[in-house]
Order: sequence, then structure tokens, then C-alpha cells
Amino acid sequence: MSAVVSEVLKIPAFVRRDFLVAWSYRMAFVTDLLGLAGQALLFYFVGQLVDPSKMPTYGGNEVSYLEFAAVGMLLGAFIQFGMQNIASAVRNEQLQGTLESLLVTPTAPHTIQLGSVAFLFLYIPIRLVLLLGVIAVAFGLEVQGSGVVPALVLLLGFMPFVWGLGVASAAAIVTFRRGAGLLAMGTLVVAFVSGLYFPIELLPDWLATVAEQNPIALAVEGMRESLLGGSGWAEVGSTLVLLVPMSLLALAFGVVAFRAALARERRLGTVGLY
Amino acid sequence: MIEEAVRESRSARALRLVPTTGIDAESLVRRFRRTLALDGVSLTVAPGEIHALLGPNGAGKTTLVRILSGVIAPTSGTVSVAGLDAVSNPRELRTMLGIVPSGDRSFYLRISGFENLVFFARMHGLRRKAAGQRASELLEHVGLAEASGKRVGEYSHGMQKRLSVARALLTDPRVMLVDEATHDLDPEGSRRVQALVGDAAERGAAVLWATQRLEEIRGFARSVTLLDRGRVRFQGSVPRLLEHAVPRRYVVRLRNGRPGEIELQEAQRALGRAARITPPLEEGSEHHVIALSEDAVLGDAVAALARANVQVLACRQERSEIEEAFLALTQERPS
Repeated sequence: MSAVVSEVLKIPAFVRRDFLVAWSYRMAFVTDLLGLAGQALLFYFVGQLVDPSKMPTYGGNEVSYLEFAAVGMLLGAFIQFGMQNIASAVRNEQLQGTLESLLVTPTAPHTIQLGSVAFLFLYIPIRLVLLLGVIAVAFGLEVQGSGVVPALVLLLGFMPFVWGLGVASAAAIVTFRRGAGLLAMGTLVVAFVSGLYFPIELLPDWLATVAEQNPIALAVEGMRESLLGGSGWAEVGSTLVLLVPMSLLALAFGVVAFRAALARERRLGTVGLY
Repeated sequence: MIEEAVRESRSARALRLVPTTGIDAESLVRRFRRTLALDGVSLTVAPGEIHALLGPNGAGKTTLVRILSGVIAPTSGTVSVAGLDAVSNPRELRTMLGIVPSGDRSFYLRISGFENLVFFARMHGLRRKAAGQRASELLEHVGLAEASGKRVGEYSHGMQKRLSVARALLTDPRVMLVDEATHDLDPEGSRRVQALVGDAAERGAAVLWATQRLEEIRGFARSVTLLDRGRVRFQGSVPRLLEHAVPRRYVVRLRNGRPGEIELQEAQRALGRAARITPPLEEGSEHHVIALSEDAVLGDAVAALARANVQVLACRQERSEIEEAFLALTQERPS
């Protein structure tokens, strides 16, 4: 069995471990879902104040603010949840005292990193579908059926970007120990300049020009085009051509940063310290 | 005394004719910024051997264990574990290594002992079914079969340590590194952990047993390295270590030939320069400490007390021989 295959086969063990740990905190599941429902309700009421004629159109379809924001909210939740959890996965191992126990097994650091968030990457899409379902049923969100698969493909192309940012944040946290504040600030900036909750055109011209090239803005607009405008593969393809190289670059940066952070910890002898 | 001990350890190394497949560390140096944690430490542990690593707090024991496990790199020096270079092959090395860490927090406390072992077995490359079987076998072996479904957070210290030993045995390791495994265990818990590790050594594992509990190495470890402030103060067998013990303080139980407490001044006068006697350890107690002077022997002191009509009912060393040797070696500083 090749080394890569034997490492990949370890991932289900991480998923099982994290599921068992998460299941031991059943109340957290319930409060998470309640929080999502509350968020949807909040955007519904805010949406009542927004004139739909001022909203952009997708595939010639007019959309309500709630529909516009729902896609942003889905992607925003994906980014926030993904980034924070990827970043804190290794930190949690460090705080629990289990990082060193893992590092003394013949498991590659990247497998530990990947494995530590594998459960989340299964749970987050389930969480997003649930949220979408709640909004669709409760507030009449109109999703174009033909756009669902292209949107998922786009999400797939976007995943390495979130992954890369998360791993880079993990590297910062392993090195500096405290990174929650920095991470929250980063998430806020990302949300602000990515058009998640309001159209980018509302930003000052110079900022709007920069923001349009932001991979998150590319991903959210592409998903809106698919889900709300029903755009086809050609549109998604052109977005992916721009998005995938950026995603891969972010992932490569994250991996290199994490590797360097861990090597530094080994050199200084502070792997298990927190 | 220290020079002699180091000379002894050097000659022991010189006699080593074949490379071992246990642990072989040579001139290890590890610096943490300005602190020199290890200063030229060399150590050999053969397969099937239990080698005790002694030393006071901050001696460098844990640093050495972490280097041997590949968690941290040495600043200089070479280290081979199970025949592999620990610096260049850390992952291959870990397939042959079983580690019992010193801390308690090395398990996932919210999940069961069984699930923890299965998880770590899978990290060692075992498939799910094989991992489950191995976990069950080991839980049985360490006496935790009945608690296998309980969350590790509900385990006692002793149970967690035994689980830790079980984890270290998951892959029948060729080398075991045991770091302060018994420091917070009761005597029965310590004995069980020692027995489990002893079994592993009998099956051929080279064991490095880092401890501060000096008495536990007697009859257990074949050889000893004594570290102090990152340097080797002694290396050799346990009997050779005991040669460094020169007990000079004894707890004696004294009684007067007549009723009442003993007259300290009278006893001290009888002892003369041979020894100093201290007041009772507690008021009304018959237990005193006598400290022999450099050239005095115990028999002379006891005879002097008898001549002064003080009966010596019992006498024991204030500290064990191992403690005496430990203190003799760690309290002296090389010039």
C-alpha cells in the first residue's frame, strides 16, 4: 500500500473520533441549528426594508434582499465556520494535550491537519443545506433547480481557498498561540469586501474594483448566478478558470506556512506548549 | 567521584562492540535559547533492557525523551532508535516506538478508552477491524476490559496510565520510552505499570524509563543514567550506582537505661566528635537522627551510646542507598 493511500485511510478515523466527541456535546448541535434559524429570521426582517428594484438581477430574474443575502450568508457561514475550525483544530489538539500524542505516531502532519477538519467538511455542507431548506420553506426562497449542481461545483473549486486560509491561520496560531482576535478581524474584512451581504457596487469605486477580483466575491457571485439566475456551465466555467488557480495558490501558501510553523516548533521544542 | 563515574560510563561505551537496535544516542546537545538542556549526553539501551533515566526536576529527562521520539530535534549529536536515525527518519522511527508520556492529558477525554485506542491504532496504520481487535486485546492485558466503554475523562490516574501503556504497546514496539509514568500513582498502580512495561522488555523491547522515584528502579532496571542539569553524572548498573551511596545519617530509636527522656547532652558527650545527635523528631518521641562525622563508623557511635547507658533499640538509614547515591552525585558539581 502506498504511503499516500495509507495516510488517506486514516481520515475516517478522525471523522469517527470527531463525530463521537461532537455527539458527546449534543446540546451544541441544537444551539447551532437554532442560531442558523435566528440568523435567517434576522435577514428576513432586514429584507423587508430593502427595495427589490435596487437589487442586482441574476439571469434576468429580480431577486429579493433575502434571496441575495441567503447565498452570501451560506458562503459566509462556510468561510467563517471552515476557517475558524481549520485554524483551531490543531490548536484544540494543543490545548487538549493530544497534539504531541498524535505527532509521535507515524502520521504525516498534513494528515493530522486534514483529518482534524474532515468531520467539519462533512458537517458544514449538511448544515448549509439545512439552512437553505429552512429559508426556502419559511420565507419562499426561489432556487433555480438547474443551478444547484453548478453551484456545488463552484463550491468545490472554492474549498481549497478556504482550506488554504484556514491552514495559514492554523500556522499563525501554532506560532503565536493566540489568534482568535486576528481571525475574527480577518473574517470581518473578508465579509465586508466580498459582497456577501450587500452588492459590491455600493463600495467606493476604487474598493469595488479591487473587491471584484477577490476570490470570495467571485465565488458568491458565481453561486448567485447559478442558484438565483439558473446560469449554465459556461458561466460557471469562466468563474472557475479564475477561481481555481487562486484557490490552489492559497492552499499551497497555507500548507507551506503550516509546515514551516511546525518545523519551527520542533526546532524550538515548544510543540506541546500552549 | 563524578569524574570516576563518567570514566566508568566511557569505558562501558568503549566495550560496546556491536551497534544496538535499541537506543543509541551520542553526544546529544539541546539548547533552548540561552538554556542548555542537554550537554553531550550519550546513552545506549539494548533490546530487552530496561534503562532507568534518573535526575532531579529540570535535569533534561523529558527533553531527552522528546528527542528520542523525534518530537524535537537535537541541536547537535546523533541519535538512532531501533536502528533508524531519529532526525532524518522520524516517521519510520515512530512505527517502532511506544511512548508513555508524563502528562495525563494525552487522550480524548470525551470518548471511551476503547475508541481512543482504536483511533491511535489507526494512526499507526491498522485497519478498523484490526485496530478494534488490538484495542480489545490490550484493554484486557492492562486490566481495563471492564472500563473499555467508559469515557477516559472518568478514568482514575492509574487507569489512564495503564491506558497509556496499552497505547504504547499497540504495535509491539521495539523501543519504549516511559516518561515519569508512576509519579502520581499509588504503590499498587505503580507496580502494575512496572509489570506491564517489564513484560514488554521481556518480549525484547528496549525500554528507557525516566523517573524521579528512585526506589522503583531497584530490581527493575538493569542500568541507569543519572542526569543533572543536562549532563550525565553517572552511567552504569544499579549496584555500581549504589557504590556512590555513603550513608552518614541514621534514624535511631533510643531509650535511657532509666525512666524518662534521654539526656541529649549526655549522649552527645558520649559520642564526642564521632557524630552529632539531634533532638527527637517529635516531642516525646524516642526517634533521633545521628549524623556521623567523615571518619566515624556507625558501630563506634552505637558502642559509645551503650557505654553512656543509652539503649539503641532500632537504627535505619535516614535515606535509601539509591537516594544517597543520587544526592551524592547531584549535589557535587564538577569543577
